Amino acid sequence: MSDAVTYYVITLLVYMGCNVMFVLGLNLQFGLANIINFSYYILVAVGGYFAGLVVLGPAQPVESGGTEYLFGWTLPWPLPVAVAGLTGAVLALLVGVIAVRRLRSDYLAVATLVVGDVTWLLTGNTTSLVNGWNGLTGIPQPLADTLNLPQLQYQWVYLGIVLGFALLSFLLMQRLTHSPFGRSLRAIRENEYTAAACGKDVFRLRMMAMMIGGAIAAVGGALFIEFIGTVQPSMWNVPETFVIFAALIVGGRGNNWGAVLGAILVPVGFLEGSRLLPQDWIDPNLIDPLRWIIIGSVLILVLYFRPQGIFPEPKRRFRRILRQLAIDEGTSLTGKRKAGGGR
Amino acid sequence: MTENPALRVTRVSRSFGGVHAVDGCSFEVRQGTITGLIGPNGAGKSTMLNLLAGALRPDQGSIHFFGSEIAHLPAFRIARQGMARTFQLSSEFARMTVLENLMVAPLHQRGDSLWAAVLGPRAWRREERDHVESAWRLLQRFNLGHLVHEYAGNLSGGQKRLLELARALQMKPRLLLLDEPMAGVNPALISQLADYIAELKGEGLTVVMVEHEMGTVERLCDPVIVMAQGRVLAEGSMAEIRANPAVVTAYLSGQR
Repeated sequence: MSDAVTYYVITLLVYMGCNVMFVLGLNLQFGLANIINFSYYILVAVGGYFAGLVVLGPAQPVESGGTEYLFGWTLPWPLPVAVAGLTGAVLALLVGVIAVRRLRSDYLAVATLVVGDVTWLLTGNTTSLVNGWNGLTGIPQPLADTLNLPQLQYQWVYLGIVLGFALLSFLLMQRLTHSPFGRSLRAIRENEYTAAACGKDVFRLRMMAMMIGGAIAAVGGALFIEFIGTVQPSMWNVPETFVIFAALIVGGRGNNWGAVLGAILVPVGFLEGSRLLPQDWIDPNLIDPLRWIIIGSVLILVLYFRPQGIFPEPKRRFRRILRQLAIDEGTSLTGKRKAGGGR
Repeated sequence: MTENPALRVTRVSRSFGGVHAVDGCSFEVRQGTITGLIGPNGAGKSTMLNLLAGALRPDQGSIHFFGSEIAHLPAFRIARQGMARTFQLSSEFARMTVLENLMVAPLHQRGDSLWAAVLGPRAWRREERDHVESAWRLLQRFNLGHLVHEYAGNLSGGQKRLLELARALQMKPRLLLLDEPMAGVNPALISQLADYIAELKGEGLTVVMVEHEMGTVERLCDPVIVMAQGRVLAEGSMAEIRANPAVVTAYLSGQR
């Protein structure tokens, strides 16, 4: 492989790893807890921004040709990622308290959409916070100085870090999904009134889903921004949120494997793959709209023919426990209990 | 001094806009009884049940559940004190299996906490096993044994009723609220459901049920509380109720 191709492949894989985290976080919020959070991409962005803000040096005054932004603490890695995760969780909690407390389904969706748009406009139009529409540039790559590797090798190391975080998120999500905690979230998704009647603290459980999902999204955002070294409002807006939703729905809502597959297919496959469209017979101006058309069509097809996604949510069969119990009941047959049909 | 009543409702009111759905109701539910709540449409029975369960909060009045005040608690806290309920409309967790529906119900599950979930199944596996076992027994008892791994949304109307009852019992409640358990259930199943409910009384459970199906009320409920226009109109055994001219008038004249 030539270096250029290697770079491209690594970039694609880093992009994939980050998107896997985005979709996993959404799977917790939307797939399990049924919170239609259209401000989701704000959580990704806030992770990226905060990681940038705390890793950059102090802002220089505008008069001397500098840019304005908050913090500028020059924190060593991995603190920026931790800060990102924390801010993602806090912001998700705020959105949750504002929107999830009182609103349901479609109203909630509209409210989160507005929260996202307001945040976006504020970020862009206020230069003193994060340098407005121009955003932050020159975000240093983590550990680049410490490791002091040739550029290409460094890229491989960074890819390893991203995939490590993605794997960690996946394992965390698997644990949550397959625990009574995840089961309670799914119960809330199916019928929150019944869940409350079963003693579930619906609001608290939903807020936890918001926060953990927000943290995963923000960490993914931080890793992404540190890789490309720059962050601007134009990189994230409402359409990006829908790409993540599309990925989850195509892959399989409620299934973490589905989330991974969706991340690979939709943002990476369809957004990046459309670069490979034959440029000589398609107007280059059409490429970008075509991507959106393709994603929209895929979403419609999946919703029509396979609404549960490629990997549907699996049935929990409690195989192991049932097997154990069958043995127990078998032994008690000779004891006090009478055979009642057994198996 | 007699034992605490399971429920003591004191001058409870709740209105929606200008409608006084429940208007100063007071009554008691003795432990170990099946208390029926009947009355014409719009009498406020379902509102009363929702007030008891915390799905609605009363504007005024107090509700004591085994001696402790619950009138202003949210539904989940009341449930945690041991009050289980079923709903008038089917309210199963549709895209979860029958067994999973029952696994949601047990109160105070360790694995319900975030940390236990993150730390992994060691903390809650044993508990989970006990819950599967009791769920399995309940499903056998309610003839749903062959449907354990079916999605609850695919069950028939009558099966969903049975599932709701099983789910409520899986909470090991002290009191069970039933909101029209016989609605939409075929006659054969009605008598079977009535048998189950009678059995529960035999096991010492206190039951409060709203029901329109008079045969069932006659068979199961003692005492019966009659509501009309948001008030308690009469209270007593079915024979006493039937002899009460006010009740007859209320039923014949409807709400107005």
